[in-house]
Amino acid sequence: MTVLKLLRDKLLEVGLSEDAARRIENAPLKLNSAGFDPWGLQPEYAKVVVAAVEWLYRHYFRVETAGTGHIPQGRVLIIANHGGQVPVDGMLLGLSLLLDTQPPRIGRAMVERWSPTIPFVGTFFSRIGQVVGDPQNARDLLNNDECVLVFPEGTRGSGKLFPSRYQLQRFGTGFVRLALETKTPIVPAAIIGCEEMYPGIYHIEALAKLLKTPYFPVTPFFPLLGPLGMLPLPTKVTIRFGEPLRFEGDPDGADADIQRMVNQVKDALKREIDVGLRLRGSAIFNKAAK
Amino acid sequence: MSDSRPSILVTGAAGGLASILVDLLTDDYRLVGVDPRSMPAGRNFPGVFHQVDYNHRKMAEIFRRNRFHAMIHLGRIRSSDDAPKAVRFQTNVVGTRHLLDLGLKHGVKNLIVFSTFHVYGAQNHNAMHIRETEPLRASQMFPELVDAVELDYTATTFMWQYRETRTCILRPVNVVGSRIRNAITQILRADICPTVMGYDPMLQFIHEEDIARALLLCLRGDKSGIYNVAGEGAIPYSKAIELAGSTAVPVPQPLISAALDIWNRLRPTPFPKHLVNYFKYPVVVSDEAFRRDFGYEPRVTTTNAVKSIKRGRE
Repeated sequence: MTVLKLLRDKLLEVGLSEDAARRIENAPLKLNSAGFDPWGLQPEYAKVVVAAVEWLYRHYFRVETAGTGHIPQGRVLIIANHGGQVPVDGMLLGLSLLLDTQPPRIGRAMVERWSPTIPFVGTFFSRIGQVVGDPQNARDLLNNDECVLVFPEGTRGSGKLFPSRYQLQRFGTGFVRLALETKTPIVPAAIIGCEEMYPGIYHIEALAKLLKTPYFPVTPFFPLLGPLGMLPLPTKVTIRFGEPLRFEGDPDGADADIQRMVNQVKDALKREIDVGLRLRGSAIFNKAAK
Repeated sequence: MSDSRPSILVTGAAGGLASILVDLLTDDYRLVGVDPRSMPAGRNFPGVFHQVDYNHRKMAEIFRRNRFHAMIHLGRIRSSDDAPKAVRFQTNVVGTRHLLDLGLKHGVKNLIVFSTFHVYGAQNHNAMHIRETEPLRASQMFPELVDAVELDYTATTFMWQYRETRTCILRPVNVVGSRIRNAITQILRADICPTVMGYDPMLQFIHEEDIARALLLCLRGDKSGIYNVAGEGAIPYSKAIELAGSTAVPVPQPLISAALDIWNRLRPTPFPKHLVNYFKYPVVVSDEAFRRDFGYEPRVTTTNAVKSIKRGRE
């Protein structure tokens, strides 16, 4: 135990910038007497996690953000594209909200319902404020003026192969009903760069079935290079936040009406993706995109 | 010997929670306590105590002789208690219905039934703040808890059948305190606590005095309904172990069943095997409705509530 404690302290000392520490402390959180928020988030734990990944965010993926000013204060739904086999995009989006947004926000992603069954994973998600994807949870978070991240493509998006990168898959519609019900503005967030970091070229369905995962990807490096092949390519990542969309209407409206609003969000996200891709050039070697 | 105070029937009167509750009630109410168990030595019930089975015909006579203003039904044999299933069913389900029917027959206007948050069941996809409208899934997954769920359903059915009688069903979270001896306090009082490696769910605790106050508020309120009752906030199991002054012993999931078999053979305080999932997945409830309808606000923080457990060590 003491070894773990020493490691943790060293990590905090080396990895966590003063700015990041201050941002976690200043994030709007309602903590109880033991230092946990109602969703299980523990700032002290979050600091350790940020210490472990801040370097990746700043120097490996060289994340740049545009349009953070579009994120309104109070409740907001951030709708982002999903891709690249492994949900690194969720992590980087969360970090951009914490590290590059003023005031800092804690992004609450809706994680898979089976994730708590994996040892350590459920606890990890909970301590950094991620929440199981249940509509009641999303409603509670928004009514509590939180910032909720949704990837409406789900595994349809994260599992798509390299040739389909940045092609938005079918969107779920639940998020629009939720926004209408809780009167929440929707901000599209285009994440550029994450869809190339694991260039999936094939899915082994039998293995996915065996491991009970949604898919099992093969990349040019994985499983060929073993654990080394699990390293993401050092792509340059840009995250572009679009202007907030505000909808009004009946949250229990007909599917066709809701679908129209979903399409508006999808189009807005597509536009941001296109701009981001145009400005970027090469996926790995490039100058800043603005 | 005329006593103009309204009279109250408290079941489970020999239990730890009843002893705290009756202290709050004794000034304003005339108390009658019943329990199939005997009153622990050294404890005085401030009123009349009958050791009686809830299904016994003597119960009817107790209702006949006292014109109860209210019944607070705390008495439930817990799944962690060492009682055969059939006995638990007879006392918890049949007994509860019998008491409610007697209450109806004898014009008792306020019926409060003490259920438990366990009825929701511990599952990975539980919402983080479970409302009272959620289906009760415990019996489907944990046959040991069937009688707890049926007790709850029996009371809710009664509530809907007889709307003119005020019936409240309370589903409290883990009740803890120095005077409480239930599964969770006994687990946390031990010097080491088994945990399932890699799982650390959020748990809720309510201090014995807060739950007693909540019962009092419920007694004095005017709403019928089903209510979750919680304490200040939720904390991970590991934090609870730390606050209770114990040490966590993580056991890998595939070994937990065998480990608990050994544990329950060697240790004086058992760790009920069927409750293991409650230490893997969160069953966190929202008590928004109870706070709104009865003006309830916990006074003891979760930190202090859990710390108070160890004062009950023998």
